Amino acid sequence: MDNNIKRPKFGSLQPDIEDLLNLKPEDFAPASEEQKASFIQDRESTSYWRDAWRRLKQNKVAMVALGVIIVLILFAFVGPMIVPYDYDEFVSGAENLYPWHYSLEDQRLIESVSGNQEERLAAAIELAEAEKGSALSSIELAKIKAQITTTTVDIDEFIKENGIKYKAFGYSVGELERKEAGESVFPHVFGTDRYGRDNMVRIMIGTRVSMLVGICAALLVLLIGATYGSISGFFGGRVDAIMMRIVEIIYSVPEVLVVLLLSTALNPALLAFQSSGNGFFHRAVGVLGPNLISMFVAFGLLYWVTMARIIRGQILQLKSQEYVTAARALGASSGRIIKRHLLPNCVGQLVVTTCLQIPSAIFLESFLSFLGVGVSAPMTSLGSMAADALKGITTYGYRLVIPALILSVMILAFNLFGDGLRDALDPRLKK
Amino acid sequence: MAKYTLKRLIMAILTLLLVACLTFLLMNSIPGSPWVSEKAPSQATLDALNAKYGLDKPLIVQLGKYLENILKGDLGVSLKMQQNRPVLDIIKEMFPVSAKIGVFALLWAILVGVPLGCLAAYNRGKWLDSLLRIICTIGVSMPSFVVASLLLTGLGGNDQSMFPTIFKASLGVKSYVLPCFALGVYPMCYISRQARSAMLDSLGQDYIKTARAKGLKNTAVIFKHALRNALIPVITYLGPQIAFVLCGGFVVESVFSVPGLGRYFVQSILNRDYPLIMGTTIFLAAFIILMNFVVDILYKVVDPRITLEEGGN
Repeated sequence: MDNNIKRPKFGSLQPDIEDLLNLKPEDFAPASEEQKASFIQDRESTSYWRDAWRRLKQNKVAMVALGVIIVLILFAFVGPMIVPYDYDEFVSGAENLYPWHYSLEDQRLIESVSGNQEERLAAAIELAEAEKGSALSSIELAKIKAQITTTTVDIDEFIKENGIKYKAFGYSVGELERKEAGESVFPHVFGTDRYGRDNMVRIMIGTRVSMLVGICAALLVLLIGATYGSISGFFGGRVDAIMMRIVEIIYSVPEVLVVLLLSTALNPALLAFQSSGNGFFHRAVGVLGPNLISMFVAFGLLYWVTMARIIRGQILQLKSQEYVTAARALGASSGRIIKRHLLPNCVGQLVVTTCLQIPSAIFLESFLSFLGVGVSAPMTSLGSMAADALKGITTYGYRLVIPALILSVMILAFNLFGDGLRDALDPRLKK
Repeated sequence: MAKYTLKRLIMAILTLLLVACLTFLLMNSIPGSPWVSEKAPSQATLDALNAKYGLDKPLIVQLGKYLENILKGDLGVSLKMQQNRPVLDIIKEMFPVSAKIGVFALLWAILVGVPLGCLAAYNRGKWLDSLLRIICTIGVSMPSFVVASLLLTGLGGNDQSMFPTIFKASLGVKSYVLPCFALGVYPMCYISRQARSAMLDSLGQDYIKTARAKGLKNTAVIFKHALRNALIPVITYLGPQIAFVLCGGFVVESVFSVPGLGRYFVQSILNRDYPLIMGTTIFLAAFIILMNFVVDILYKVVDPRITLEEGGN
């Protein structure tokens, strides 16, 4: 390529001639019959959704994000069926396992050097006492003890010298023995926690909780926001003014504070309600847990305002269209016009806003669970797992890293997919 | 200007009223009464106590009294955490620490975020832009507790090390570094994304073409014309970011054991110290609403093109 071509400066008015120079003579050749045929094919009318799907398919980032979301859904909903452990099952003898293990022979080898630390300590004290001829002072005892304990550091050296390597996945000693005897034992892929609960199953369940909360909260927001926004936009005038003032007030309420407050204060009330009877709602509270319900209440109360604003704006634009006038002339009621004519026409906005609500709900759920006011034990979530892991962070760092990573990847994937969906459904918004 | 300010002020007060009423209602919805103790007091004592504290009056009268007390600066006394100490006292002691961390976090977020956003906009479509976009998207997808605890695992050490994991005021600047950094990551990425799109908008405007047509130098065009106008929308995002930093502080302070209001708020929630929870909520809500108000007014002052009465979207 000719290097003498001066590239226009950023923001310059000069046209970028490089694009023009890159065109080859072949590019100007007449189209073949095949190409013409496919061109005609392309121009066939496509439905709104097919058109959006075509645009979405071209967006590589969004497709990767969609793939990640599907993998995570499989992980969260199919995974627990495959793993034979329960999220609240204590596997005895498998406490505090790492996601890796040494084979049985290696463990025996290591034990032969380090395992009998106490015995070696006793032997060393005996030897020193015999040398001195009297009982040892506490300082001397401490010295010997320190010497013995420091020699154990050499285990790392020993492991390196003998070429002992970690094997993938966690097994307890008992499980390894059973495995040697020919039984098939399902590994603890991500290790276990301090009660011997399988970490992978807990992470799967936590992911499931986060996803369910995200999707349910987003649907709740959709329901309230779309109804409120469409009524406000359709009727206009004084109704609109009052409804939008209310939205403005709720909009400026600091949500996180109120959510924290709600989840604390509603908890005892819901618990009292749960124990007061045995009806459908009482049992529903028991199944979901009071904390989760108060989280939904908070979402229902506070997070619909953005949706309401967006839908109102759309309805305001749409309601002056001819088909609305036509419907009205035919005697359709306001409710029918909103339901059958206006809302279906802002379906793009509805889908995009709902989709982008999911990551923020997941964000909030993990935040609350991390602080200890989210889902209640023994149910688990990614946030509460991360909070638990903080206690043993130096030794068991993987317990924090894995849930944190999955949570971040999940939010990232939903964000990117939502962005892609927005570009696909509403190309005008693209920047 | 005056009309707009007045309108915003009324909205702010209404919002605060809503928060106060909500807290009051929630406080009353909690089962049990403040007089429950191991030894059940007699009915006569209960009546006397209720009468003394006005709990026998109808709910609406109580609400009025509660609001009046708030206006006087009386947020009640702590029940469990620091028995009988006025909530306002506790807030006065804890808030400065949180505020300090919040201010520094926001400061670095702005000082780094805005230039990064401009850099991305200036290199639009090149690898630097893509890289920055990836980093910032990841940044806004990580909850602050993830950032904080990863920093804690990766960099934290004891008192002598560069970044102590446990906050100690006596260690000075050192112990502020990690909390401020952790708290600032999300706003930084957010601001940088906003700055990028604002800068792109600004660069496409006609006055940039005019400036170039006049033959101004590139730097002059960027800094004098594009950047100054791009900063205005960034200011609007500062309001919500202040709220975010304060609330993100709950997590970061818990992770780094900072003796700030955020951590204390969370502890009071876990301890179910209701007056403390309510008082802190109202205080923080008032602070956030006030900050939003100030930012909004500032926004209108900085950008004279915006018509005040319209509200401007």
